[in-house]
Amino acid sequence: MDSLTPDEIPLSQQAIAVLWPSFITAIVASGIFFSAFNPRDLLPFNLDADLSPLAVYSIGFLLFWLLAVLSSVGTLYFTISNCRFLGSKQGQ
Amino acid sequence: MATSQANTSEPVLYEAHKKIYPRETSGYFTRLRVISLVTLLGIYYITPLLRWNGHQAILFDLPGRKFYLFGLTLWPQDFIYLAALLILAGLALFFFTAMLGRVWCGYACPQTVWTEAYLWMERKIEGNRGQRMKLDKAPMTAAKFRIKALKQTAWITFSLWTGFTFVAYFTPVEVLAGRLLSLSLGPWETFWVLFYSFATYGNAGYMREQVCKYMCPYARFQSAMFDSDTLIVAYHPERGEPRGSRRRRVEPVSVGLGDCINCNVCVQVCPTGIDIRDGLQYECIACSLCIDACDGIMDKMSYPRGLIRYTTENSALGKTQHLVRPRIMVYAGILLLLCGLLVAHISQRVPLDLDVIRDRNTLYRETNDGLIENVYTLKILNMDSSSHRYKLTAEGIDGLKLVTDHSGIEVEAGTVYQLVVRLQADEFNLEARSVPVRFHLQAEDGNHLKTVEEARFVGPGKS
Repeated sequence: MDSLTPDEIPLSQQAIAVLWPSFITAIVASGIFFSAFNPRDLLPFNLDADLSPLAVYSIGFLLFWLLAVLSSVGTLYFTISNCRFLGSKQGQ
Repeated sequence: MATSQANTSEPVLYEAHKKIYPRETSGYFTRLRVISLVTLLGIYYITPLLRWNGHQAILFDLPGRKFYLFGLTLWPQDFIYLAALLILAGLALFFFTAMLGRVWCGYACPQTVWTEAYLWMERKIEGNRGQRMKLDKAPMTAAKFRIKALKQTAWITFSLWTGFTFVAYFTPVEVLAGRLLSLSLGPWETFWVLFYSFATYGNAGYMREQVCKYMCPYARFQSAMFDSDTLIVAYHPERGEPRGSRRRRVEPVSVGLGDCINCNVCVQVCPTGIDIRDGLQYECIACSLCIDACDGIMDKMSYPRGLIRYTTENSALGKTQHLVRPRIMVYAGILLLLCGLLVAHISQRVPLDLDVIRDRNTLYRETNDGLIENVYTLKILNMDSSSHRYKLTAEGIDGLKLVTDHSGIEVEAGTVYQLVVRLQADEFNLEARSVPVRFHLQAEDGNHLKTVEEARFVGPGKS
């Protein structure tokens, strides 16, 4: 198999490279966070009354995932753009 | 830009991916593998149905912030145990990898277990390898559509059952089933059932070996645990080469060939689509199906078995094998030590917790009797499975008095009891502005149920 240049990495592969590690990170982050803090003590009363505990934990997990996704997207973006930049310098 | 390549490369998930149609095998390792896979699937689907002392045997009760593991109830404070268990699992993986190679990948990894389950359904519905390949190549007809629809129905049903079971580890299964039957499943329960179902469906139905090849971190670093005495699945080129086809029962030497008849069955049975004869590859999940496949061919040819077999690098090169070696000793040593520490710690665990919060509004006040008074809020957490009466005392200052409106402290099992207490001391006995004091909490009916918590007592200080 020839190695791919950054522009040839399929979008689906990039999506998995972002979503998958951030999913694992989000599990670890929510585990640590929610074992240290009870969401009941953090939320304002009206929100706490409106949301079931499962909803709070789920939204918390999804927010952690979103944060980790942002970080992974940044890593992927800089890696690819740096490769492209160095590649174009080599091509000159 | 890569426009020229863009024209030739199709939109694929990873490298130009060819769907793998693993051929069915039979034999000793195939049977061993089926036993392992069925057992593990059984454990997964049956565990939420088990009961223990009036609750679900294993339940991660998120709303109640309690984890039930048979007789043990873990609270958020016990998160360290879960972390320790994960570290233990990691170390066990290191140990078994060093000993037995990728036995985890081939026999126990959820990715393997569910992939095989989905492949089994595919085989039952679409037929053997040849039939499946023909079916996929054929144009869509009513018959093909019916077969594909049947497979999808089986896959989706199994996925939904898997997703339901997953959520049943977090919401008691009878509650969940009741809500499902009355169509009143909450939005988040529905979300997680569907999320997990979809992940299973995608991973086991379509991604399959690509998860192992591209997404699994263990597959990338497992070689670091390997040494020359680690069990591997290997082809023996010195016996097999030069490979070539020949008629049955022909002596290999008589035609100038090795034992490998180049039938490619070992490649066809491989769930990751590699050729084991190319040597040890990181794609190999050591499922050992090629061993059974090749042994079957050797039997037909009346050649001795074991052209592909479990071996070690040392054994294959004719060197001495070492079962016990420093790497194994170190892994086993750390593993045993941590296991011992964990067991000791859990058996020493006192199911009682005391939290002391000083009143933040006033540092101290003076009572009518001229004593210095501090106010504290105490939270008593009874993590035991029965209720207890507790005795509360405080010490740290001469003549320290503990005053509370609560006559008896009775805490139900698994609940938090909150009370306000006042500590009073004579200013004469205060050595400094802030003095440490200790609250002692002791169950009246159990000597081991006791805990100590330190707090600060603040006074005007010596002038």
